[in-house]
Amino acid sequence: MYPAPRLLPAVSNHAGHAMIYLVLDAVTTAAILFVITSGLLIIFGVMKIINFAHAGFLTVGGYVALVATDLEINPWLGFPLALIVGVALGIVIERLILRYLYDRPLDAILATWGLGIIMIQLVTIYFGREVQFTDRPISGAVDIIGAVYSEYRLWMIAFALAFAAAMWALQHGTRLGLQTRAVIMNEPLARSLGINSVKVRLITFAFGAGLACLAGALIVPLSSLNPNLGIPWLVSAFMLVLVAGNSFASLGLACVVLGTAQVVISTYTNPVIGNLTLPVLGALLLRIRPKGFALE
Amino acid sequence: MSKFSSPHSVTGGEGWLAMTLHFRYRMVVWLVFASICVVAVGPFVFDEYTVNVLTRAFLFAVLALTIDVLWGYTGILTFAQGAFFGIGLYAAGLTFTHIGFTTGTVLLALFGGILTAMILAGFVGWLAFWHGASTLYVAVVTLVFPICVVQVIYSGGQFTGSSSGLVNFAAPQLPMWGWFIVCGSFLAIVTGIMWVVVRSDYGRTLNAIRDNEIRCRYLGVPTSRQKIYLMMGMAGIAAAAGFIFACVGTFAAPEYAGFVFGTELVIYVALGGRGTIIGPVLGTIGLEWVSAYLSGTFPFVWKIFIGAIFVAVIVALPQGLLPPIWRLLRQYVPARLLGENESGHASVEVATRTSPEDRTGQIDEVALELSGVHKHYGSLSVLEGINMKVAPGELVGIVGPNGAGKTTLMRCISDGMERSGGIVTINGHGLRRDSPADIVAYGLGRSFQTTSLFESLTVAECLRLARFYHARPSKVDRAAHIQLPQASHQVLVSTGLIERLDKPVHNLPHGMKRALELAMVLALEPSVLLLDEPTAGLTKQDRELVGNILTELRRDIGLSIVLIEHDLDFVKEICTRLVVLHRGQLILDGTVNEVINSELVQEIYSGGHT
Repeated sequence: MYPAPRLLPAVSNHAGHAMIYLVLDAVTTAAILFVITSGLLIIFGVMKIINFAHAGFLTVGGYVALVATDLEINPWLGFPLALIVGVALGIVIERLILRYLYDRPLDAILATWGLGIIMIQLVTIYFGREVQFTDRPISGAVDIIGAVYSEYRLWMIAFALAFAAAMWALQHGTRLGLQTRAVIMNEPLARSLGINSVKVRLITFAFGAGLACLAGALIVPLSSLNPNLGIPWLVSAFMLVLVAGNSFASLGLACVVLGTAQVVISTYTNPVIGNLTLPVLGALLLRIRPKGFALE
Repeated sequence: MSKFSSPHSVTGGEGWLAMTLHFRYRMVVWLVFASICVVAVGPFVFDEYTVNVLTRAFLFAVLALTIDVLWGYTGILTFAQGAFFGIGLYAAGLTFTHIGFTTGTVLLALFGGILTAMILAGFVGWLAFWHGASTLYVAVVTLVFPICVVQVIYSGGQFTGSSSGLVNFAAPQLPMWGWFIVCGSFLAIVTGIMWVVVRSDYGRTLNAIRDNEIRCRYLGVPTSRQKIYLMMGMAGIAAAAGFIFACVGTFAAPEYAGFVFGTELVIYVALGGRGTIIGPVLGTIGLEWVSAYLSGTFPFVWKIFIGAIFVAVIVALPQGLLPPIWRLLRQYVPARLLGENESGHASVEVATRTSPEDRTGQIDEVALELSGVHKHYGSLSVLEGINMKVAPGELVGIVGPNGAGKTTLMRCISDGMERSGGIVTINGHGLRRDSPADIVAYGLGRSFQTTSLFESLTVAECLRLARFYHARPSKVDRAAHIQLPQASHQVLVSTGLIERLDKPVHNLPHGMKRALELAMVLALEPSVLLLDEPTAGLTKQDRELVGNILTELRRDIGLSIVLIEHDLDFVKEICTRLVVLHRGQLILDGTVNEVINSELVQEIYSGGHT
């Protein structure tokens, strides 16, 4: 019913360079998955709920990039704009709805799914259902050892590394990061030490929503834009979070392993099976090894 | 209740049971019959479009019912019911398109679809319900499954019709009003059956799994297997609905197998009222009806409206819309029709020992043996090389300061997944990675440090649940008499719980909860009993009572009891032997006096206990 994520896989079988393309596809796919999943992981790590509105945030982020195009501002500015919009949305949703659902994780799934529907329908009403295109901050291709490859896809690697670095710096370099880690490890204890877990949750959700919107804006140049942009990613992101637990290092590992598996299987069998690779392998992995990719 | 008794049904002691059953069946049969009559009038009242919409809604309501049983009653949030519906749908579509339409192919498609759905549900269940799976994992597995089904349909090319589906195949033909009556009757009958099943003892077992699955396992209920069977049953019903849907519309489209459809149904169930049977049926019919009219006029706004209501209901009215409406209405319904009297009048009686194994022959063997049991979390070692033997008729107390590993040791005995290494043997059964429910079958009973009962159940229902292993719960009825072993019965009598059998557990005072906990463990008829602080928070009187009961069990039936206790006076009085656990090691094992008077214990308790 929903086509698989449109930009995956970017398989191109130019003779002679097949191996290079395979490696590039694998690495960039892992990077895209990492960028897409980060926002979901942060929220899951701290609040132990799955934010099903993630698809909605991705879509909203994509349309913020469209607005930037329509306003004819520098496409690079669309990215911080998406982050800000996402944070603002996150704050509103957390205050109005989510904070009542912390002790009901299954209900939180449903409520955020409903929120996702609302967001996507609002976007549809305002922007229409048709496919649209945004200005790309970077277009064109580069030559890597004879293989011609999309430059923007390569930039995704940089974005993923920037996400990871920012996350690491926030967690280990700031007071808030320390409080967040304390809440992740043992919330009752953290609260008894005077950490305001309500505030930590609000900030976490807002930040996770912001990252999701940013990710939506970042992937739009790779594909076209339509209101259902986010939905095909949701299950992959959901699965990656479950196998990663709550660590960004595990998420990176999971993205590389499962992303590579997806690219390889798409290339050598067919894209349909390729698209099922990530969720199916993830489910089987968790069945066999409940810790998934969690390192400790 | 006696108002409804008829001369035929009262036959001695079993008369109560026969009558309750009789009464409930009669009422449900009448209601189902009445609903079918109402349905039969429908085609003459509604215009053709409405008949069309409602026919569709009836089938979706059947699907919503299956979700209600899984989610509302058993706590399994599933998005996969749409996929099973789709399997029934495509079984019909594929058979009629490629083989043709005869009586034979109709049966082939119907039963082939149901069977395929059930087998796949069994696989999904195996994947989702393992010992230790989180509810989120279950949700994600049921999300991945429909995606796989849809992708398979997409990649089927001409054979499955890919994204445009299969259309215009020859199928069983009826005029639209005929399908309306068929689907309406199907819904009424399924609703009636579900209504009876969820109110049976089996239904209460499902509730107990929802409320506290772990505790159910320790009461000998193999919860994973129960959930897999349930999922298979519900998948079969969903596939049957899908088959009828294919016949009505003569088309099969992939979106009916997808997770968005599955999610939509979950929304209907949530709005109608999960765990109410009637709520999801009314919710589905109502929403399908309204949205058929409104979604054409205001397509996007309607979806936003549904989304907003859904979020509001989840946040503010987690029980859905039916329960509050029902609370308003019920004041106008005669009390005798409300069915409250059904749950009452449970009684308990003493059963003769019914254990499948005769354990008298093993009296001189070792009941419980641990050898080299250890447990570590990463590099942190919690238990090291524990060796211990308990003979029948022994009452062994485990003492030691907090954090010594006492409760961990109990976990390692009662759950095969817990220990990191070593051998545990219970009545001659060497444990592998057995689940707690398997271990109950070997003759182990374990009580918990914190009272963990089933808040939505009554005292009698808790006891019935604890008898799962000895007397499988009926799927259609409630047993009026619960057969309990002598010891369990004695606990109920001496604590006065026997007067409160019909009271909900969450209203009991703490002492009674502890007593019920003990009565439930004893109802398992264990030969090895593990008790984690059975007297915590009890009055002196109650402690004595528990002490006497344990002593009797040990002496008269030859039970082996292992007990964790902080109260040394209590331990001194009842134990035949003491072991001391300190920093994960078993450092002393001897008679009560030897241990209590040893320097080591004095030292630990004066130095380490503060």
